[in-house]
Amino acid sequence: MQRSASDGAARAVVSRRVLWIVPILLLPLPLLLNPYQQYVINLVLVYVPVAIGFNVVVGNLGLLAFSNVAFFGIGAYTAGILMVRLGLPWWVAVPPAALMGAVAGCAASVPALRGVRLFYLAIMTLAFGELMRWVYIRWIPVTGGSFGMALPPPDLFGWSLDSEAGKFYVFLGLVLVAIIATDRILRSRFGRAFVAIKSDELAAAAMGVPTNRYITLGFAWGGAVVGVGGAMYAALIGHLSPPAFDLTELILEFAIIMVGGLGSLVGSVIGAVIITAAPEFFHELPGYQELLFGILIVLVILFLPRGLASLLARAHPLFRDRYDRG
Amino acid sequence: MPEPLLTALGVEAGYRSKQILFGVDFTISRGEVVALLGANGSGKSTALNTVSGFVRPSAGSIRFDGEEIAGSPPHRIFRRGIIQVSQARDLFPDMSVEDNLRLGAWVRGAEIEADLDAVCTSFPRLGERRRQPVRLMSGGEQQMVAIGRALMGRPKLLLLDEPSGGLAPVFVGEIAAIMTALKGRGITMLIIEQNIKLALTVADRFLILRDGKVAQGHDVRTGAATEEDIVRSIYL
Repeated sequence: MQRSASDGAARAVVSRRVLWIVPILLLPLPLLLNPYQQYVINLVLVYVPVAIGFNVVVGNLGLLAFSNVAFFGIGAYTAGILMVRLGLPWWVAVPPAALMGAVAGCAASVPALRGVRLFYLAIMTLAFGELMRWVYIRWIPVTGGSFGMALPPPDLFGWSLDSEAGKFYVFLGLVLVAIIATDRILRSRFGRAFVAIKSDELAAAAMGVPTNRYITLGFAWGGAVVGVGGAMYAALIGHLSPPAFDLTELILEFAIIMVGGLGSLVGSVIGAVIITAAPEFFHELPGYQELLFGILIVLVILFLPRGLASLLARAHPLFRDRYDRG
Repeated sequence: MPEPLLTALGVEAGYRSKQILFGVDFTISRGEVVALLGANGSGKSTALNTVSGFVRPSAGSIRFDGEEIAGSPPHRIFRRGIIQVSQARDLFPDMSVEDNLRLGAWVRGAEIEADLDAVCTSFPRLGERRRQPVRLMSGGEQQMVAIGRALMGRPKLLLLDEPSGGLAPVFVGEIAAIMTALKGRGITMLIIEQNIKLALTVADRFLILRDGKVAQGHDVRTGAATEEDIVRSIYL
C-alpha cells in the first residue's frame, strides 16, 4: 500500500522530536565545567543565532550579502545603549535588539531589491558593516566611541545573570527559540519561496511569488535573529567596542556557515560549535593554533564542500534539511 | 459571437535591436487547442513569451479575457490565468515534486490540497514520487511535473513550448495522452510543437509562422491539410 505524504510528514515530525534530547542532555553542563569552559560554551551559543541569521540570507535565499556583522553590531549596541543610557534591564533590551536587527536587515536588502547580485552585492553590503563601525566610533556620546562601553551585569526578571551558568540557561532558551522558529519558517511557504528564489528567481516570479517581498523578509528575519545574537554577545562580554565588529569578525562568521553547511540549519549549529570552540582546544598547542585552525577550515571545504552538516545528513535522515541535496 | 479568449493584433517584438515578430495576428477561443508551427527562428517561442509577458512587445495589442495584457509583467499575466510551461521547464531542482507543485498554486495560497491530489491522480508517476527531488527524475517525468505545476495554477490558457522536445519516444506517447486528456477537460491551449504528428493529434487548429508573421492557418478538424502539406508549408 502506498504511504501517503501526510503519514510521512507525521513520522518526520515524530522523529524530529527526538532532537529535543540534545538540549536536555546539555542541561547539567554547568555542573561539569569550570567557568572558562562554561564561557566558551556560552560563546558558542552566541554564535548559533549569528550563524542561523547569516545562513538564511546566504544559504537559503542564495544572496551573497555580507551585512551580517552590521546586524550583529546593531543588536549588541542596541542592547548596550538601552542598558547603559536608559538603564533598562538586559532582558527588556533583547526584543528591541531583534527589532533593530530586522530594520537593519530591511535596509541591507535594498541593493538586492534593485537587482544587485554576487560580488557587487557582497561589496555593497560589506560597506554597510564598515559604515556601522564608523558610527560606533564617531557617535561617542551614545556608543562610547573607540573606548567602547562597559555594560552592567545582565539580569532576567531581576534574577542576576552574573554567573556563566545563569547566562548559559538563558542563552540556551534563546537559541532554542531561534532554531525552532527558523526551522518552522524554512519548512513553510516562506521557506519554499526562499528556495525558489535561490534556484531561479525569474521562474519564481513567473509562478506569482512576490520575490522582492520575500527577499526583504529573509533579510529581516536574518537580521532579527543575528540581532538577538548581538544582545547575547553584549550580555556575555559585558563590554562593547568597535573592533569586535570588524572584517575579521565577518570572516569568522562566514567560516562558520561555510564549514557548517550553506543553507543548513543543522550546519549553522555545527559550524558555530566547531569554529568557536576549536581555537580554544588548540590553546594546548601554542604557536600552532592559527595553523591548525586554518588547516581544519581548508580540509572541510576541500573534502566536504557542503559542510559538516552533509556528514550528519548522510549518517541519518533526521539531520537532513528540507532541501538537502544529500 | 463571443469574444475570443485571446486576441493578438499586429504584435511586434524582439530582443534589443533584433526584431523577431513583425505584426502577428491570431485568436484563440475558449476550449480551443491551437498549435503554433514554424521552422527554427520563425518566432514561435518569441510569440509564446510575448503572450506570457517574458518578452515585452514593441507594438500591437494582446487582449485576454477582455483585458489588454500587452506589456504586463509575467507575474501579473500569470495571475490572470495564462500559465506557460517553457522549453527549459523552469523547475526548482532541489525541491520535491510536491513542493514544485505547491508553488504552481502559490497565488491562491490556501485550498490547494484537492488540486494536489487531482494532479497526483492524473499523473500517477508524480503521486508515487511526491517527496523525491525533481533533479533525480528523468526528462519525461520532469515534463510531467512542469505540466502538473501549471495545472495547479488552474490555467485559463495553457502555453506549452515543445512539450515533447528532447524526450524518449515512450514519453512522447505519454505527453500526447496527457495533452489529449487536458483537451478533454476543456483546457484552452496554445502549443508549440516540432512533432507535427503529435500537434495534429491534439490541436483543433494550427497556425504557421514564417519570418515573424502568421503565414497560414488551417482547421485540423476539416481534414483539409495533410501532414505532408503542413511540412511543405513550413519549410518550402
